Amino acid sequence: MGQALLSFISAAYWKSGRQLELRRMARREIQDDKKSYSGLFLFAVGLLLLGTVWTVWDDSISRRPWKKYQAAFARISYDKLTADLQKEDERLANDPAYQEATAQLAEAEAQISGGEGAERLAKLESDLAVAEVTASDAENALRLVRSEIEVAWYEYDHAIITEQPTKEAKEHLDGLEAEAAVLNTDFQAKTAQRDQIQNEIDEINLAIAESKNKLRTLASDRERLKQRLDDTVMFASNGFMIPYFPSIEQVVLQEFDRSNFDTSLQRVDRCISCHVGIDRSGFEDQPNPYKTHPYRKILLGNHVGCTPCHDGQGVATNSVAQAHGNVKFWEHPLLESDKLQANCIKCHANAQDVQFAENIAQGEKLFMQVGCTGCHLVEGYGEARKIAPYLRRVAAKADPSWLVQWVTNPHEFRPQTRMPQFLFNEDQGKAIAAYLLKVSKEEGNEWLASRPQPDGIDPSNPEQVEKGKALVDSVGCRGCHIVEQGQTATLIGSEKTYAPILARIAEKTNPRWLYYWIKNPREYSPHTAMPSLRLTDDEAKSIVSYLMTLGEKPAQFTARPDLEDADLINQGEGLVRKYGCHGCHEIPGMEKEGRIGVELSAFGSKMLEELFFGNRTDVPHSWDGWTDYKIKEPRGYATERIEQIMPWFNLPDEDIKLIRVFLSSRTEGEFGESYQAHNKWTHNLVEGQRMVQYYNCTGCHIIENKGGDIRALYQESPTLAPPILNGQGEKVQPAWFYEFLKGPIPIRPWLEIRMPTFHFDDTDARTAVDYFIAQAQLENPYSYVNPAELSPDMLHAGEVLMSNDYFACFSCHQQGDQKPEGPPEGWAPDLELAKDRLNPEWVVKWIEEPQKMMPGTRMPSFYPGGPDDILDANEPLQMEAMRDYIWTLGQPQMAKLAQPEASPESASGGVETPVESLQPAPTEAPLEAQSEETAAVESGKAKPSA
Amino acid sequence: MRRQSLKRLAQIVAVSLPALLVSTSWGYEAGAVANGGKITGTVKFAGEAPAMPKIETTKDTAVCGKTEKFDETLAVGEGNGLKNVVVSITNIEKGKAQADEGGTLDQKECIYTPRVVLSPAGSELNILNNDGILHNIHTYSEANPSINKAQPKFRKKMKQKFEKPEIVRLECDSHSWMKGWLVVTDHPYYAVTDGSGAFELGDVPAGSYTLKFWHETLGEATQDLTVEAGGDASVSVEMAQK
Repeated sequence: MGQALLSFISAAYWKSGRQLELRRMARREIQDDKKSYSGLFLFAVGLLLLGTVWTVWDDSISRRPWKKYQAAFARISYDKLTADLQKEDERLANDPAYQEATAQLAEAEAQISGGEGAERLAKLESDLAVAEVTASDAENALRLVRSEIEVAWYEYDHAIITEQPTKEAKEHLDGLEAEAAVLNTDFQAKTAQRDQIQNEIDEINLAIAESKNKLRTLASDRERLKQRLDDTVMFASNGFMIPYFPSIEQVVLQEFDRSNFDTSLQRVDRCISCHVGIDRSGFEDQPNPYKTHPYRKILLGNHVGCTPCHDGQGVATNSVAQAHGNVKFWEHPLLESDKLQANCIKCHANAQDVQFAENIAQGEKLFMQVGCTGCHLVEGYGEARKIAPYLRRVAAKADPSWLVQWVTNPHEFRPQTRMPQFLFNEDQGKAIAAYLLKVSKEEGNEWLASRPQPDGIDPSNPEQVEKGKALVDSVGCRGCHIVEQGQTATLIGSEKTYAPILARIAEKTNPRWLYYWIKNPREYSPHTAMPSLRLTDDEAKSIVSYLMTLGEKPAQFTARPDLEDADLINQGEGLVRKYGCHGCHEIPGMEKEGRIGVELSAFGSKMLEELFFGNRTDVPHSWDGWTDYKIKEPRGYATERIEQIMPWFNLPDEDIKLIRVFLSSRTEGEFGESYQAHNKWTHNLVEGQRMVQYYNCTGCHIIENKGGDIRALYQESPTLAPPILNGQGEKVQPAWFYEFLKGPIPIRPWLEIRMPTFHFDDTDARTAVDYFIAQAQLENPYSYVNPAELSPDMLHAGEVLMSNDYFACFSCHQQGDQKPEGPPEGWAPDLELAKDRLNPEWVVKWIEEPQKMMPGTRMPSFYPGGPDDILDANEPLQMEAMRDYIWTLGQPQMAKLAQPEASPESASGGVETPVESLQPAPTEAPLEAQSEETAAVESGKAKPSA
Repeated sequence: MRRQSLKRLAQIVAVSLPALLVSTSWGYEAGAVANGGKITGTVKFAGEAPAMPKIETTKDTAVCGKTEKFDETLAVGEGNGLKNVVVSITNIEKGKAQADEGGTLDQKECIYTPRVVLSPAGSELNILNNDGILHNIHTYSEANPSINKAQPKFRKKMKQKFEKPEIVRLECDSHSWMKGWLVVTDHPYYAVTDGSGAFELGDVPAGSYTLKFWHETLGEATQDLTVEAGGDASVSVEMAQK
């Protein structure tokens, strides 16, 4: 545009100059002063003017589109505030308090606006004027004399120094002093008189001032609105509304990015220049860019800037497209809809705990659990465990024919399996199976040698099958496994199952392997996530009998001599290496093989130009489009020349989207350290969550308010479901918990479901303990009750409180060998375990409000409502006393402390209950005489209102 | 000054009184009922009456097992009369006021007595324990917060407020056989059938109503009827196993 203008001007200049020359030659006789340049000047001036106008227009209007948004927002804001103000005015008008204050003000003002009151005020005011003058006159007179005194002092002192007679000067001075004293009295009196009148006036005005103050307080909201309104717009003298001076607004994030030379860069976001209402409440219903941020409190309150989350070109203000980064070569265009969460993870190292970031959390989980990390290295996920079965002894486990079929197409046998399909043909399947059977034969046989075929497994015995099924349904298998079609268990994403569906288990293996496997899975596979449920031999046999009815059972493994061919085995080895089976499986001889896929640590930063679309034209030409299609059809971009080997996962679109969102978060560049949200607990939380994910603890337990899938089976009786582990860190002692994880013991006698033994190694057990401590953010998780410091009075009180005369704790709680009455379903945990197991502070809190700490628990609340006759009805002390007593359980020498003989002097406020009542009160003991209260109810309880 | 504060008091009362009335009525308007009618009726069990199973008291037998007890989950009495059916008018908008006093639930020899207790919303249910042993009252509710409160031997009477109308399942975790129901009512036209399946609703303003019958295992049934001023309406309903 500018260039065109320039060439136009020069052309015009040249043209006009040339004409001038011609004219000069043609009419030499014309005198120079008769020539007129006015046309030329007019033209030039016109051009200059146009250029200037255009420059100003372009600079102040076209390049500043944000001005019009600010103006429009000022209008919206003005309308809204005016409406609010009007509403507030109406509210005030109807507010009785405001009405009353207005009336009071009017009344007070009426008092002085006419009649006697007004006359009195007028008189007082004129009196005040006179009094003020008189007082000031008196002050002046006093001051004059005082200055004369200064002079007199000088003269007196001078006389002394010059050794002249001082008598006269002294007399003069004394006279003046006396005069000043008189004047001072006069001045004081007149000032007092003036103040007196002023006070009277103030008193009259006091009522007015008070009402005004009250009105101001009541109308403070209105004032605030008014102030906001004034800040929004200003009015020209003719009444035209002018929006306040438009200006670019920006947020500067110091030391946010790193340059290519590793120096820190600031980031500047000017988004709020257009999105004016983003951080103001009340504009939720407005369209963009005027809208209030939908999650303003959290996402603006605790966060900084705009582009750290949204991407886009924060500094650009020339156009919407530029600002949103939707221009060529800008690498981070505005993120939309589901991808918006990708950036959360750049500051929140713990993706699983971020509010509003469900997609990224699920995407991360899927990415790890589907096994992507087996082939692809991603920074931060390099240590992920191998998720697939151990193949070192697979010859002992799998039927060879089944293995061929499985390797060729796992989805045919189990559509919901995590194992992907490599699109092998039958020959390739046979080759791989042959190789796997060969390399696992030695270790497999060794394992089998010490494990003879067990007797007493009989799938044809309905009684045993029934027993097995009942066990599978109750001991906890279904926390992870779907056993028969139609059941539910933990899913990965929306379709894949965490553990194999057992509906066709009999086709795959034989009873011998299965029996030893379920008895102790880690004896077969040292790192498996499958735990032992501490099954007895009989239980295991019943379960195997039942499982062997699921699917068509091969009596023995079918012999497959055709799989022993050396060429076939060689071919199999090549395929295993090429397709990277060792990424997810442990395979003998492949220990040193690395990941076969490309690294994806910065995959989210890949430019479109770097993505290979092959011959495809039907895939959306975008990063999202490429990635979605790659996961959906992993070999879809292959061409005749370029082979692709990524297997097919058969994932639903919903899951593909989540993985894609996770991948889009794997970008280059880190945000500055001071912007990171992690703290000292984050590492332990992340490690813990990954462990929980690997072992599927949440299949049974609710942890961090998530999981507990198996509770679906216990809807009728939630108390029979596995315990909820929210708050476990505060509840248990770390040392006990560590030991428990290594070798669980039954704690809740009423549960049929068992906490399995995972045979955790030290690292796993520590990770779990640290995880729960991190959830509770306990600086010092250890606590200790010193038995020597327990007071006999407290112990005695605790014992009495827990006795049958009071809370009857042992009517449900087990106490070592002393079992409560009734069937075990009605029992509660052994309180002898408490001293080692529980945190003493937690126990007190638990007694205080069990329902709040574990909603739905069978432990009833005893407080408020403790007995009046123990520890002076001091409830917190009563709870502590019970806790102290619980800490002595199972230690006879400690229990003796609680006997009153051991406490010779009961302190004041001690227990007054007679010793006899410390013995468990026989239930047939005569009931105490009815109190008046209950007697009254007895007589009135004939029938409830009908 | 005194005049002003009196005036202010009057203003406060004038403003808050209607609000108070609205907030206590839940859409049901209470007032005097003149010449109201009466609804009487019986609920019968359709089919052959099953015998009530005997309760095996496995705990605190000295108290709980003092007398023989039967599980009243499905209690069919003489002439197939069905006990413990909650009868209520579903569409009544005006009528007598609800009692201020809450219902009374006794835990007598480890049995909730009555098995189905009525209690007006907003009032306090009286819970009695004269058994001399520990009971606890565990509610399974949706509209009201669930509670699980212990009632030890020394606390013979407990009060518990229920604000919202609904039918709440009651259980005692100490004695697994103890099951009961609390009906938190939003108006006074509720009744529970007695051992012969009979019930009575008095002081019903003239009008057409729908009666609802609820039984813990047999579900619900409804019946329409008209009540004349001062007249008697009677109704007979059968409920069957589903």
